[in-house]
Amino acid sequence: MAALRHGFTAELDQLRLQAELMAVRVDQNLERMRTVLATGAPGVAEAAVRADDDVDAMNVSLTERCYDLIAREQPVAGDLRFVVSVLRILGELERVGDLALRVVKLAPEWDLLHRHPASFDLLESMADVAVDQYRLALRAWATQELTLAHELVGSARVMDPLTERLMRELLALEGPDAVPCALRSLVAGRSLDRIADHAAVIGARLRYLLTGDPDHLATEIR
Amino acid sequence: MDIRKAFHQQLEDITRDLVRMAAIVTESLPHVTEALLDGDLAEAQRLIDGDDLLDALTLEVEERCYRVLALQNPMASDLRSIITAIRMASEIERSGDLVSNIAKAARRIYGAELRPRLRGLIGQMGDEATRLLRLAIDSYADHDAALAAALDDLDDRLDTVHHEFIEALFEERGDESLPLQVAVQMALIGRYYERIGDHAVNIGERVRYMVTGWLPEHTGAAREEAKRRGALPGLDRATAPGADPLPEESEQPPPPGRSAAPPT
Repeated sequence: MAALRHGFTAELDQLRLQAELMAVRVDQNLERMRTVLATGAPGVAEAAVRADDDVDAMNVSLTERCYDLIAREQPVAGDLRFVVSVLRILGELERVGDLALRVVKLAPEWDLLHRHPASFDLLESMADVAVDQYRLALRAWATQELTLAHELVGSARVMDPLTERLMRELLALEGPDAVPCALRSLVAGRSLDRIADHAAVIGARLRYLLTGDPDHLATEIR
Repeated sequence: MDIRKAFHQQLEDITRDLVRMAAIVTESLPHVTEALLDGDLAEAQRLIDGDDLLDALTLEVEERCYRVLALQNPMASDLRSIITAIRMASEIERSGDLVSNIAKAARRIYGAELRPRLRGLIGQMGDEATRLLRLAIDSYADHDAALAAALDDLDDRLDTVHHEFIEALFEERGDESLPLQVAVQMALIGRYYERIGDHAVNIGERVRYMVTGWLPEHTGAAREEAKRRGALPGLDRATAPGADPLPEESEQPPPPGRSAAPPT
């Protein structure tokens, strides 16, 4: 019985590590996203699109592994909370990957975005915040530290001032390309804003996982 | 009642609660649009307060799903139904948050005069978002994978109206008929409606998964598998223009705190 239990615990630990590995792959694509935003490099954009397929494959594989664990081991209490939390976090990671790809796919229109420095600078700042928040979430998951999870939940609104400033800048754009530039910048800004949101959700879910406190689940539900 | 019947009864109860939650949101949407256009602060407040009920229902549904997972040991399509229910609760709850955000923005622009074109586009966005969410929930209640698959294309209409809305905002700003701060709030409002449409599309993906086992990631995963088998060409990283500056996986040292987990 002890050997079976040890085997199951090892499987859960392996699942945690594989989720972390998927998170690292997403992080690499966020870095590609930043490069594309800064330079518009088409080769990097293509690499990001290919890498997202890898992330999707990992998501499918790990999701199926979670379902297999639930069906086979019938986890309860903390173990069930862990597996369901991994499922939740896999979904958040996959969404972050998709959002990074939305920004990357603006590469052919980089010149248009770059033509208006004030709004473009804000997009780059938002990208920095989004990546910082995501890396905080990655670190929190890797270390399973409650203080980092708290920090993520506490910084859930960190992007709001930049989002509002971006809106103001875009609405002040002038010239014949103002509207197309604003629409593309809105796509980028919205995606970056949501990456930071997903990082906060990962923090909230990790906090609930570590404490089991229903109030912390309520915070994630917000 | 045998175990299988008990499970299906519980699943029916969960489905009913999810449909009820979705109804709260779809019924709120026309009201929040009216509150926005009519400057109805009392209605805006009622809708903001109503989000608490939705949050509470989401918690109940999630906890009930976890109990079913723990006690009933569902397999295959039954397991997919429970996992879908957990994810759907989250999508519906976030849609409710967006309705609340529209209500809060309505308070911020209270007193602003909006021209007919903007008012008309707001009404259209509200109608489209409501329609998409209703169709998404219908697809869930009826296990209609075809309708679920169509939601992504149906969402294009909301995206188009949203684009027109942004163009209209620019025109109003251009002739200085709209104060900047009001225009910013209006831009955020447009974004909230558009995101409700995105959540409806997400619900559609969950429904497709529940009915058929298909996930959107399966497409990317299939491409990746084909590449690994050599069935698809890959780009030569060393020679492609603007090549990826990131080093290969084996060359990259692990970040602090990361364990050396084997790749999947």
